[in-house]
Amino acid sequence: MDTLSDNAIMLKVKKGETFRLGLLYERYKKRLFGFFFQMNRDASLSEDLVQNVFIRILKYKHTYTEDSKFVTWVFQIARNTNYDNYRKDKKNRHQDLDTIEYSITTSETIETEITKNENVSTLQLALKQLSEEKRELLLLSKFRELKYKEVGEIIGCTEGAARTKVHRALNELKTVFLTLEKR
Amino acid sequence: MERKQFEEIITDYITGNCSEQQRQEFELFLKNNPTSNQEVEEMKLFLTGFDDEVETSSAMDMKFYSMLNAEEKKNSSVSIFEKLIVVLQAKLVRQLAYTFAILTIGFFVGNTFNSNDNTTFRTLDFAQNETEDVRSQLVLALLEQPSVNKRLQAVNEVSKLSSVTEKVTSALFSTLNSDTNVNVRLSAIEALSNYTETPKVREGLIASIKYQKSPMVQIALADLMVQLQEKKAVKSFEKLIKEKNVNASAKKKMEESIQQIF
Repeated sequence: MDTLSDNAIMLKVKKGETFRLGLLYERYKKRLFGFFFQMNRDASLSEDLVQNVFIRILKYKHTYTEDSKFVTWVFQIARNTNYDNYRKDKKNRHQDLDTIEYSITTSETIETEITKNENVSTLQLALKQLSEEKRELLLLSKFRELKYKEVGEIIGCTEGAARTKVHRALNELKTVFLTLEKR
Repeated sequence: MERKQFEEIITDYITGNCSEQQRQEFELFLKNNPTSNQEVEEMKLFLTGFDDEVETSSAMDMKFYSMLNAEEKKNSSVSIFEKLIVVLQAKLVRQLAYTFAILTIGFFVGNTFNSNDNTTFRTLDFAQNETEDVRSQLVLALLEQPSVNKRLQAVNEVSKLSSVTEKVTSALFSTLNSDTNVNVRLSAIEALSNYTETPKVREGLIASIKYQKSPMVQIALADLMVQLQEKKAVKSFEKLIKEKNVNASAKKKMEESIQQIF
């Protein structure tokens, strides 16, 4: 069952085998949660948003076609969910830094963990300084199954434009990170 | 691969956007320039380092699965409803099929009865024709009877016929021209007046004018000719007027009639 492609599972869900959505949930919950959490830094809100994504999947399953790529589709939905929430709750979109700790657990040794944590914290700070659009781009393109083409489909631009945007965003993140590290 | 190309392609490489050939070239470049490796690792960190290990709470899973369960139930209740509709539709279809079958049977049965009706009509027609024939025979037979009453009855029988044969009309004319009784002759005129559309009957009536001696019959014929506006009758009446022994009132009547015809 697990060997079924996302696309095949989603088509079954579309046909009425709703319970199969559980598989897709297991496959995507972390990625979606990560995406939301990086965008809003609010764990419980992110969990709600993940839930909303799957509610929307059920609601709009009739729009899913055989030609759709599930990962692209689901991140389009995730992006819309995030925007809707952003519009609804503009005030709360910046969270305090103390919630950052929520996501960090590693199995490495304490020493490397500290340096890594430091790096990660700086990186988080840097990421936070980027515009919403650039942050979203980086979050999308870090998933290796989302090529420039799919990223473009999600944010609504051409493949070439997506490539340029990702390059720019990543370079900006690098610059911001390096300035933060020098301080 | 040059350094410049390497910089250009590094993002594509870590985001997995390289073609197979590009990837191989890139990895070859990394082998040849080990210092670049760190650069790649750094860059990778920028893209993936910020949220390596996110843990989602079990509460989220609970929420999701209860949502999914609720959705499942809703779906199954929907499908029960749909099944009900399907069953009902099947019933409806069956009912429609029965209705159609009954209609078809009704149509054929009705058709058969209809064709039966046609045969009854045909037999009725046949019977009617037969009665007409019999009646015609009766008329001819009665007209030859010595009794005035019988001959009157014969002339009356003619009016019951829907169509007359030539035999009957010629019998009526011979009655009109030679019968001894005035009443019978008058009745014959009356009977013949029903068939004036036939040219032969008209001609016969005109021809019979000269044979009439009785003023009553003369007057009756004059009336009929006025009614028919028959100009050919004028000559016959003029001849009749010139004859002696013609009743004065009949003469007057005939003169008036001639004028009315013109």
